[in-house]
Amino acid sequence: MDLNLNRADYLQVGVTSQKTMKLLPASRHRATQKVVLGDHDGVVTCFGMKKGEAVAVFKTLPGQKIARLELGGVLNTPQEKIFVASGSEIRGFTKRGKQFLSFETNLTESIKAMYVSGSDLFLSASYIYNHYCDCKDQHYYLSGDRINDVICLPVERLSRLTPVLACQDRVLRVLQGSDVLYEVEVPGPPTALALHGGNGGDSGEDLLFGTSDGKLGIIQVTTAKPIHKWEIRNERKRGGVLCVDSFDIVGDGVKDLLVGRDDGVVEVYSLHHANEPVLKFDQALSESITSIQGGCVGKDGYDEIVVSTYSGWVTGLTTEPVHRESGPGEELKISQEMQNKISSLRSELEQLQYRVLQERERYQQASQSSRAVFAVPSFSINDKFTLNKDDASYSLILEVQTAIDNVLIQSDVPIDLLDVDKNSAVVSFSSCDSEAPLTPARMAHLPFSASRVASHFQLCRTPPLEVFLRCRHRCVISFSKPFKKSNDNFLLATYRCQANTTRLELKIRSIEGQYGTLQAYVTPRIQPKTCQVRQYLIKPLSLHQRTHCIDHDRPVNTLTLTGQFSFAEVHSWVVFCLPEVPEKPPAGESVTFYFQNTFLDTQLESHCRKGEGVFKSDNISTISILKDVLSKEATKRKINLNISYEINEVSVKHTLKLIHPKLEYQLLLAKKVQLIDALKELQIHEGNTNFLIPEYRCILEEADHLQEEYKKQPAHLERLYGMITDLFIDKFKFKGTNVKTKVPLLLEILDSYDQNALIAFFDAA
Amino acid sequence: MLLPVFTLKLRHKISPRMVAVGRYDGTHPCLAAATQAGKVFIHNPHTRSQHFSASRVFQSPLESDVSLLNINQAVSCLAAGALNPELGYDALLVGTQTNLLAYDVYNNSDLFYREVADGANAIVLGTLGDISSPLAIIGGNCALQGFDHEGNDLFWTVTGDNVHSLALCDFDGDGKKELLVGSEDFDIRVFKEDEIVAEMTETEIITSLCPMYGSRFGYALSNGTVGVYDKTSRYWRIKSKNHAMSIHAFDLNSDGVCELITGWSNGKVDARSDRTGEVIFKDNFSSAVAGVVEGDYRLDGHVQLICCSVDGEIRGYLPGAAEMRGNLMDTSVEQDLIRELSQKKQNLLLELRNYEENAKAELSSPLNEAEGQRGVIPANTKLHTALSVNLGNETQAAHAELCISTSNDTIIRAVLIFAEGIFLGESHVVHPSIHNLSSSIRIPVTPPKDVPVDLHLKTFVGYRSSTQFHVFELTRQLPRFSMYALTSPDSASEPLSYVNFVITERAPRVVIWLNQNFLLPEDTNIQNAPFQVCFTSLRNGGQLYIKIKLSGEITINTDDIDLAGDIIQSMASFFAIEDLQVEADFPTYFEELRKVLVKVDEHHSVHQKLSADMAENSNLIRSLLVRAEDARLMRDMKTMKNRYMELYDLNKDLLHGYKIRCNNHTELLGNLKAVNQAIQRAGRLRVGKPKNQVVTACRDAIRSNNINMLFRVMRVGTASS
Repeated sequence: MDLNLNRADYLQVGVTSQKTMKLLPASRHRATQKVVLGDHDGVVTCFGMKKGEAVAVFKTLPGQKIARLELGGVLNTPQEKIFVASGSEIRGFTKRGKQFLSFETNLTESIKAMYVSGSDLFLSASYIYNHYCDCKDQHYYLSGDRINDVICLPVERLSRLTPVLACQDRVLRVLQGSDVLYEVEVPGPPTALALHGGNGGDSGEDLLFGTSDGKLGIIQVTTAKPIHKWEIRNERKRGGVLCVDSFDIVGDGVKDLLVGRDDGVVEVYSLHHANEPVLKFDQALSESITSIQGGCVGKDGYDEIVVSTYSGWVTGLTTEPVHRESGPGEELKISQEMQNKISSLRSELEQLQYRVLQERERYQQASQSSRAVFAVPSFSINDKFTLNKDDASYSLILEVQTAIDNVLIQSDVPIDLLDVDKNSAVVSFSSCDSEAPLTPARMAHLPFSASRVASHFQLCRTPPLEVFLRCRHRCVISFSKPFKKSNDNFLLATYRCQANTTRLELKIRSIEGQYGTLQAYVTPRIQPKTCQVRQYLIKPLSLHQRTHCIDHDRPVNTLTLTGQFSFAEVHSWVVFCLPEVPEKPPAGESVTFYFQNTFLDTQLESHCRKGEGVFKSDNISTISILKDVLSKEATKRKINLNISYEINEVSVKHTLKLIHPKLEYQLLLAKKVQLIDALKELQIHEGNTNFLIPEYRCILEEADHLQEEYKKQPAHLERLYGMITDLFIDKFKFKGTNVKTKVPLLLEILDSYDQNALIAFFDAA
Repeated sequence: MLLPVFTLKLRHKISPRMVAVGRYDGTHPCLAAATQAGKVFIHNPHTRSQHFSASRVFQSPLESDVSLLNINQAVSCLAAGALNPELGYDALLVGTQTNLLAYDVYNNSDLFYREVADGANAIVLGTLGDISSPLAIIGGNCALQGFDHEGNDLFWTVTGDNVHSLALCDFDGDGKKELLVGSEDFDIRVFKEDEIVAEMTETEIITSLCPMYGSRFGYALSNGTVGVYDKTSRYWRIKSKNHAMSIHAFDLNSDGVCELITGWSNGKVDARSDRTGEVIFKDNFSSAVAGVVEGDYRLDGHVQLICCSVDGEIRGYLPGAAEMRGNLMDTSVEQDLIRELSQKKQNLLLELRNYEENAKAELSSPLNEAEGQRGVIPANTKLHTALSVNLGNETQAAHAELCISTSNDTIIRAVLIFAEGIFLGESHVVHPSIHNLSSSIRIPVTPPKDVPVDLHLKTFVGYRSSTQFHVFELTRQLPRFSMYALTSPDSASEPLSYVNFVITERAPRVVIWLNQNFLLPEDTNIQNAPFQVCFTSLRNGGQLYIKIKLSGEITINTDDIDLAGDIIQSMASFFAIEDLQVEADFPTYFEELRKVLVKVDEHHSVHQKLSADMAENSNLIRSLLVRAEDARLMRDMKTMKNRYMELYDLNKDLLHGYKIRCNNHTELLGNLKAVNQAIQRAGRLRVGKPKNQVVTACRDAIRSNNINMLFRVMRVGTASS
C-alpha cells in the first residue's frame, strides 16, 4: 500500500443519513470544489474551504430530516443542481442556494432513496418505487422487501431507462417501466449502488453494489441477463458498505474504488490490474461513513477523499502532505491558521457555555413548579442488528451522535454476550435474580456470563454444579437444581464506555428455539441525562438466514398448517418465527421463502397461501421448534389451527452427517491446541523437532494458525453438542417418548466421539 | 510518532511479569525472563562469542545468544539488581513457591539458596529504611521477608493476606525507602521497616506496584484498573476491559517527569501522564505484554524502554526528543484539539436544543399518557432513597436494603448501581418485569466485606409505555457496618470474646460514630453514657455488643476477631487516635490457633521424614540402576529384568511419596497462612505503636516457639507481664 493520505476535519453539521453529501463540479481540473450536504435537522449546507477555514456558500433553514441528497442537471452538462429528499418532498436548489423546485410527491411514506438523471426522478420509500419525469408520475412498482437504494443506468450512453432497485432480500431488481425485467441475486442485502467509474464503465451497464455484510461487487446489467464481473468477500470482517464512489486518487489514470463502511473504515481499491481490485489504502475513523466522494476541497492541486460521518463531520483524506514535512515558513503560517480557528472556536464555546448555564438554571427552577414538565430530549441512535453468517452470531451496533455514557443490555431470553476486540467499554454482568440478595454463592452460579458456562462445560465432564447446556431443552447433566427464571431477566449487563465512544459493537449468541426480546437502554453523555430503549427481537429460528436456492434432494420433514386463516395471517407467523422476512405480505396468492441454518447448514422451505402453510426442513429440530412456537402462538391468539407433520427418519441421520465434519474438525482442533504448549516445551528442551512424528511437527508449524482458529469460535463445540442433544430429544418427542434421562448417556458418547456410535445410539434409543 | 529503536523476536515464550534487565557481568545489560518448563532465559546480545557454560546454565538450542537456566520449578517471581554492592555486578534472583535463589550469572554460582515456606509471589530489590545493605524482599503468603547478599534474613513481618506485588518508594519523603505491599485482600500497605504507616483499600487484588518519583507510585488491579497514588490519595485511575500485565515508570517524552507505562493483556502498551492519566503514546503487540522494563540495551549511553510480549517479541523505545514537545502520537495535536472543541460545541448546542424543546413541551397541552411515551414527566418529580436493614424471612436471607421511590405516579424502569467491591462485576442492575413496574423499588445489598462503599445510582424514570426515560443520577454511601442490625440486648447470648480499651472521647461523639457507621433505625435514641448497644450480624447471626462506661472504657464483645479489628480501626480513624493499647481475649479463636500451631509442628516433622525417605530412595535408585546396567552388560537378562522391576516399584513409591509431600505442603502453607493472619489480626486490634509491638512480639514468640507467650502477647499486647 503506497498511498499515504492525511486526515483533515473541515466542518461538523447535524447527524447525516446515507448518501447526503456531494461535491459540486469543479470549474476546472483540480480546482477546489464546494461541498454540499444535508443533515437530520433538515439543513442543507454548502461550503468551500478558504485558507483552512470553512466558508459557507449557503445554508437553508431547518426542516424535516434529509434522507438523500443528489446532484442533477440537464444531461451532458455539469451536474450542479442540488436535489434534496426530505419526508415526502423533493426540493431543488441551484449551486448558489436558490430554491427552484419544491415538489410534494403523492407518496404516503417518507422517501428513503432517490436518484436523479436529467429530468427523470427515481424515488423509493420503504417498499414503493416511483418514477417521475418532469415531476409527472410515470411508473410505479411495489417491492416484496424493503428497498435500500435506487439507481438508473446512464441514459445518455444507453438511451434506455433501466432503473435498478437494491432490495433487502438480497436481490437487485432490474426494472423496465413498472415491471421487473429480471432479478439479480447478490451475496448479501445490498445497501449501496453506484455506477462503475461514475458512468457505468466501458459498457455503460456496469453497476457497483455494496452489501450490509460488507461485500462489494460489480454486475453488468445487460438487457437480457446479469453478468457478475467480480466480488470482494469481506475477509477482514469489516462493517457494511454505506457508500461507494469512483475516483482516481492513486493517480495512475484509472479510477479507483472508494468505499465507506458503517464501522468507520474508508478503503481505496485500485482497479488497475485487469479489473482485479487491489486494496491500496484503508483508514478507520471512529464512526459510520455516510457518504464518500473523491475530489478536491482543502487545497487546489491536491486530490482527496471527502467523507461525511454519522455525527455530521466532513473530513478530507488528502494527498496534500502534512505541514510538518513542508518548509519551515509554511508550517508557521498554517499553525497560525490553526490557532485562529482554535481561538474562534474557544470564544464561541464560551458564549455557548454561558447560554447553557442560563438555560440550565431555568430548567432547575422549573423543578419547583408543579405544573411544569420535563420533556426528554431526543437523540438519534443509529442501530443495526444483524446475523453474521461466519460464526452464527448476531452483532448489535449502536451509534449515537454524542459520546455514550453507558448501555444496559437486558434480555428475556438466554443469550451469550461475546467479547468484541474493538470495543473498549467495561462490561459487567449483573445477577438476574433481584428478589434474593447477592450472596457470593449465588454469584458463583451466575448462569450467563459468557465464559463461565463455557469453562464449566469444558472443564468438568461430570459437573457437580448446575451447568446450563447450550440447548433449548433446559435439560442439564446431573444438575442439582433447575434453573429458575425470575423477573423475565435472563441477561442484565452494563457497558460503561470510555470517553469519546460514540459507537458500540456487541456480539450476541442465541439459541434456536428460545425467543424473546433483547433491549438496549442507551444513555449518552449529555445533559439533562436521558436514556432511550431499543428493542430487538430474537426470533425462534434466529440462526436462519434467507437464501435464494436450496438443495431439493435432501430428505425432508414436513409440517403443514391448515385452517381458516388469511394469507396475511400465515405470513405474519412466518415473520414471527424467522428473521429477514418482509413484514408486509408480498403481492400475490402465495409465497415461498428459502432459509439456511447458518450454523449447521440445514435448510428450510416455507410455502404459504390462504388457509395453508407448509414448512419443509431436513433438520427435525427446526420443524420441532416451528411446531412448538406455532401451536403456542395459536393457542394464545385462540386460532383454530390444524398442525400435521410428517417425519422422515432418514433426515436425522442426514443431519448427523452434516454435523459430523464440523464436530470432527472442532474436536481435532481442540486436541491439537491442547498439545501445542507441551510440544513447544519439548522443542525448547530438545532444540529441534526432528524426533517428533510428522503429525506433531505439523501442529508446531501451524501453532499460531490453530490457536487463532480456536479463538475465533469460542464454545463452538458446546453449541454443536447442544444441537445434537436437541436433535436427539426432538426425534423422540415426535415419537412421543421422553428421552431426557438418556441425555447423560448421549454426552458420554459425544465425549468419545465416533460417528457410527452416535448414529447407532440415535437408532437404538 | 515514536518508533521502536530495536525489535527482537526471541523464540522463547516469556512468562507474564517475569522480566528483568541486569548487568550480570558489570557492563552489559542482559534481559532475563522466565519461560516455560521452569526455566529462565538470559538474552545476551553483546558478547556473542562468550557463553556461560556450566552445569546449571546451558545454551538455548533455538537461539545463539540466549542461555537457559534450569530452575526445575515454576518460577513465581524474578528480579535483577546489585545485591552485594562490593561485587560490582548484578545478581539474578529467582523465586518459586518454595525457595529463593540468588544467582551470580557471571561466575555461574549460587550466592545463596533459601527455602521460604511462605513462597515468593513477588520480589523487589533495594534498600529499605535504615537497613544499610540492599535487600531482596519477597512477599509470600501473608509474610514478607528480606534477605541480604549472604542470605541472612534481616527483615521479616506479616501482612493481611497473600502478597501479590511489592515496590520500594520514598513514601513519606524522609529520604529513606518504604515498602509498598499490594495483597489479595485489596489493600495497599506501606511498611516503614516493619511498621505499617499507611493502608489504602482498593477494589480488587493489587497485581503490580511501581514507584514513580517522590511519594508518587503507580498501581494496577486485577480488574483492569491502573492509576497513580500520591501518598495516600489517588491522583487518577482508569479502568479497561483488558488487564494490566506490567507497569513501569519511565520518562518517555523527556519532560523530566516519569510517565506510567502499562503493558496490557491485549498487547497494547501505553504511556500515561502521571498527573492526568492522559495517553501520550501507545503501541500494539500481537500478543499480551509480559513485561515492561528499562535498560541501556544498545550500549549507547541512552536508556531505552523495553517491552516484551509473551511470545518473545521485544521492542525498545528511546525517549522522544524534547523538540517533539510531547507529541508522540500519530495525529497532530491541533487537529485533535479542534475536533474536541467542536464536539464540545455540538454537545452544548444539543443541550441548548433540549432546553428549547423542553420549553416548547411545557407550553403545549397538559400531561397525558401519550406524552408519557415520549418521556415527558412532571418537573417536580423527585427521587427518594433510603437505606435500612431488612431482617429477611424464610425465602430471603437478611440484607441491607436500598429503597428508591419517586415522588409521583412516574415509574422506575430500571436501576443501575455502580459500586466497587460489593457486586460480582462493577455494577448491579435491577430491571423489574413490565408487569411489576411501580414508583418504588427495593434493592437488597449484601456487601461481602465491612468497608464503606459509594453507591452510584442511575435510575431510569418515566411511564409504563415510555421508550425514553429520564436518568436520575445520585450517590449514596453505604456505611461500613451496614450488615449489622440493631437488636435488643440479651445477656445470655453475649459472646465470651471481648476487647477492652479506654478512649478519652465523650459518649455523644461515640454515638455520632455509631450513626455514621451503622444503619440505625430512625427512631433510635441512645441515652448518655454508660450505655450498651447490641447488633446482630446479617451474615452469620453473630452478636456484637458495644458497651461504654462513664470512664470512657469501651468493651466490644464479639467472636469475630476481624470485626473487632475493623471496629477499632474505624474508631481510631474517626477519633484520630494515634496509639491505642487494647486488652483482648478470643478463647475460641485462640484455641483454634493453638491447634493450627500444633499442626504446623506436625507438618514440619512429616516434611522432614518424607525428605529423608526421598533421599534414601534416590540412593537406592542409583544403586539399582547401576546394578541393572551391570546385569545388562553381563547379559544376565533375568537379573536385569528383576532390577528394573524393582526400580519400577521404587518409582511408584517415590511418586506416591511425592503426592503425600505435596498434600503435606499445601496443608502446611494453609496453616502458616492462618498463623500469619492471626498475628496480623492481633495487630489490627491495636493502633499505632502498640500495634507494631504486638507484631514484633508475636514474631519473637513464634521464633522461640513459645506458644504461651504468643497468646499472652495477643491478649495483653506486650510480651512482658
